[in-house]
Order: sequence, then C-alpha cells, then structure tokens
Amino acid sequence: MWVGDKMTLFSNLYNYREFLKTSILKDFRGKYKKSFLGILWSFLNPLFQLLIYSLVFPHIMGNKIENYTVYLIVGLMPWTFFNNTIIQSAACIVTNGGIIKKVFFPREILPISTLTSNLINFLITQIIVLLALIFSGIGIAKTIVLFPLIALLQYILQMGLAFIFSAITVYIRDVEYIINIFMMLMFYLCPILYAPSMLPPELLNVLKLNPMFEIITFYRQILYEGVLPNMHTVFKIFLVCVGVLFIGYMIFRRLEKKFAEEL
Amino acid sequence: MENKDCVIEVKNISKDFVIYGDKANTLKEKVIRFRNNKKEVFHVLKNINLKINKGETVALIGVNGSGKSTLLKLISKIIYPSKGNISVNGKLTSLLELGAGFHQDFSGRENIYFNASIFGLSKKEIDSRVDDIIEFSELGDFIDAPVRTYSSGMYMRLAFSVAINVDAEILLIDEILAVGDQRFQDKCLNKMLELKNQGKTMVFVSHSAESVKFLCDRAVWLSEGKIKMDGETEHVLEEYIKECG
Repeated sequence: MWVGDKMTLFSNLYNYREFLKTSILKDFRGKYKKSFLGILWSFLNPLFQLLIYSLVFPHIMGNKIENYTVYLIVGLMPWTFFNNTIIQSAACIVTNGGIIKKVFFPREILPISTLTSNLINFLITQIIVLLALIFSGIGIAKTIVLFPLIALLQYILQMGLAFIFSAITVYIRDVEYIINIFMMLMFYLCPILYAPSMLPPELLNVLKLNPMFEIITFYRQILYEGVLPNMHTVFKIFLVCVGVLFIGYMIFRRLEKKFAEEL
Repeated sequence: MENKDCVIEVKNISKDFVIYGDKANTLKEKVIRFRNNKKEVFHVLKNINLKINKGETVALIGVNGSGKSTLLKLISKIIYPSKGNISVNGKLTSLLELGAGFHQDFSGRENIYFNASIFGLSKKEIDSRVDDIIEFSELGDFIDAPVRTYSSGMYMRLAFSVAINVDAEILLIDEILAVGDQRFQDKCLNKMLELKNQGKTMVFVSHSAESVKFLCDRAVWLSEGKIKMDGETEHVLEEYIKECG
C-alpha cells in the first residue's frame, strides 16, 4: 500500500507539475511583489539578523570562536530556511482554504511549494555565505561538494514536518501559534550561536537527538571547518529524515480527506 | 456496469455532515466544551445511485439544500463520501468556483497560467490555449493589467474563459452562469452547447429552467438528499415546477 501511495504522490506531482511550478513562483514572487526593494529582502533580512547577533553575542557571552560572524552565518542560513518553512507551511493549507474548498488538486502541492520556494530563498542566501567565506580568508574548502547532499537531507526532513504541521493546523488552529514558540526554543537548542564543544557532554548527547542539530553541524563542518562529517552519522540522519517524511506523508494522507469540510 | 460508456458511476453514496452548535477551532474551546459538545449529524445525501454515460448532458435540479452541490463536490473528489464509492473515468474538471487561485497583484495573463495549472494543465497545453482564452474573455489590452484593477464582470469573464477552455472530457458546472451580462451568458451557453456537440460529458447544476432545457437531455431531481426523479428534461422539469413552483 505504501508503494502505491508513493507512486500516486509522484504521478500527482508529475501531472500537476505546472501547478507546482506556478505555485512556487507565486509564493516566491508574490511575497515581494509590492515592496520597494523586492527580492533584495531575501538578502537584507538575514543580513540584519546576522549583524545584530554578531554585534551582541560576542559582548555578552565573551565568545572565543574565531571568525564568529562567519561561524554564525553558516549556521544561521539553514536555520532561517528551517524556521520559515515550518512556520509558513503550518499556515499554508488554512490560507489556501478558498481553493481547497472549490477545486480538486493534489493537496500535497501546497506544503511542497512552500518548502521549495524557501529552498530557492536559502540557495540565494548561500551567495552571502560564499562571499563571507572568501572575504574572511577562510576560503572555500573542497568539502563544499557535500553541500547538495546536506541540503537534500534538510529538504527531506522539512518535507515530512511540513506535511505534519500543515495538516494538523487545519484541525487545531493553535498549532500555528504553538509552533512560533517552539521555534524560539529550537533556535537555542541548535548550535547556531554557540559551538557544540561548549556544552557539557550529557546535554550534548540529548541535543544530538534533534536532526537539525546534526544538520547544522554538517553545514559548519563542510563550509567553515573544511572537514568531512562522519559519514556514519550522515547516514543515520538520512534514515531519520526519510522516516519523518514517511510518517508525515501518512499523517497528511489521513487528514487531507476532510480538509474541505474543516476549513 | 456492463456499459463501457459509463463515465461517472455513483454507488450507494451517503454523505453526513457533522454540524457543531459552535465549532471549536482552538484548543481552549475544545477543552472548555469538552463536556457539552453539541453536535448534530446532518444527512445531506442518502444512498444515491447514479450512472452517467459518455456524452450525456445531465442537469441536477432541486431546491436549495437538496444536496446538488454536495454531489458535485463528491464527484470531483473535493470531499469524500461517508458511505459508498464513486468511480470517474476520464479527465474531469469542476467549474464550481470561478477564479480559484487568482492572485490580485498579477496580470490577467499570468493568472490564466495559475488558474489553468490548478486544473492540471501543462505549460505547453496552456501556451496553445492562451490566445483562445484571451479572445473569449474579450478583455483586450486589459489582459496585461493586474487583476485587482478589474471590474467584477471582467474578473468573471476571464475566469470563465479559462475554465471553459480547459478541454476536459467531463465537466461539472455549478451555477456559474450568472456571469457577466446577458450577451456574455448567451455566449457561454453556446460554448457549452458546442462542447456538448463535441461529445463531452456534462453535469450541470442550475436554477434556470431555460438553460437546463437549452443544454440538457436528462435531468435528475434531488429532493432532501434523495433522487426523486430521473429522466427526460422536459418531463422532470414539468413535474418539478408543478411541485416547487
């Protein structure tokens, strides 16, 4: 049955590829259509966030991380991708209630297009990361070839989570707000502002259960440190991400039948 | 069942809606109303059986609340039945709502692409139809202006033009003919007649006896969630008007 479901997911996505494409485009362009600086905001937002953190944190925490701004940006960009995807996907079914009630189309296109337009945004912001790596003197390590793999892991994980949260929010609207709080906490549970080595080992072991913790560590290893991540760990995280996607899609398929009635 | 030409088969369909006195959408409300959750089950459709063959043009008639729109939504898979099953054979387009997915800030032309893609068309298929759609909509140079600047009539004309040009084998149409002025309505009816002559299957919900007579060979009268009568348009309409005035 799972194989059958999987096939319908792919054939649905193929048949409705134009809708997926225009929907990504609409998410992406529609966001900035009326603003003066337009797509520049994709850069400006994370840049200012970076500026604030890199000014504030070294002072209050007495940070001893070398090239702290670069350290920060390498972890902050994937975090922003994660954060925006989860928060926007939680709302994506509810905000598109109008078309869900009136037209049939594969519902999974909505979370997938939210996720993918955020992926495009993320890839654009990587330009800033590359510039930061070059101008800080760290340079670009060969390990950067693993970047697509790590980004794929993150994409799979987020697809699973986007399925879960987009579907549940239809039934319990509070989820949209709970997620905001949850993400605030998650930010500090991931090694973005600090290095994992600063943590006591017992706490570190607990935090490592969170796949985003490891994924941010991978990004930092391949971009900032220029070392290969432990491939055993990468494979383990891959299995976790696929598992989350599997469960997420199951939940979505179960809940989507009543979307039109609940909205 | 033996009939190979059957494109829509509705078998023993029932649909219940659960109506909450006041629906709890948030956790707080769910907790507070945990004990006195008043709910009422409303049987919208009761054991409906219906077969529609290829090339037939069927009208669904009945008073408000008789379950016509619910039946169309079930056939188009927007909602799922409580009991029974529905099989559909062929590419189906439901024109239940015009302008679904229109984005106010984009131009009419861009919105043709958004809207047609919801119906499952590929870029190439839309490219080959876009001129026909624009011509049918009679929007002229306005097609490149943002949709938010359109009058409601222009908006509906564009939406109808997209929907009617999707080229589905089965069309479900729910009272959308209250579009534009009389002349444009006639144009739409003629376009639908043309599609009918091309052998498309159509299911049509309307309160206008005239359009039903103009377009449909067969009428199905729904009353309180059941099929009260199914047969030749003239005959069913006559009985319907006798009873419901």
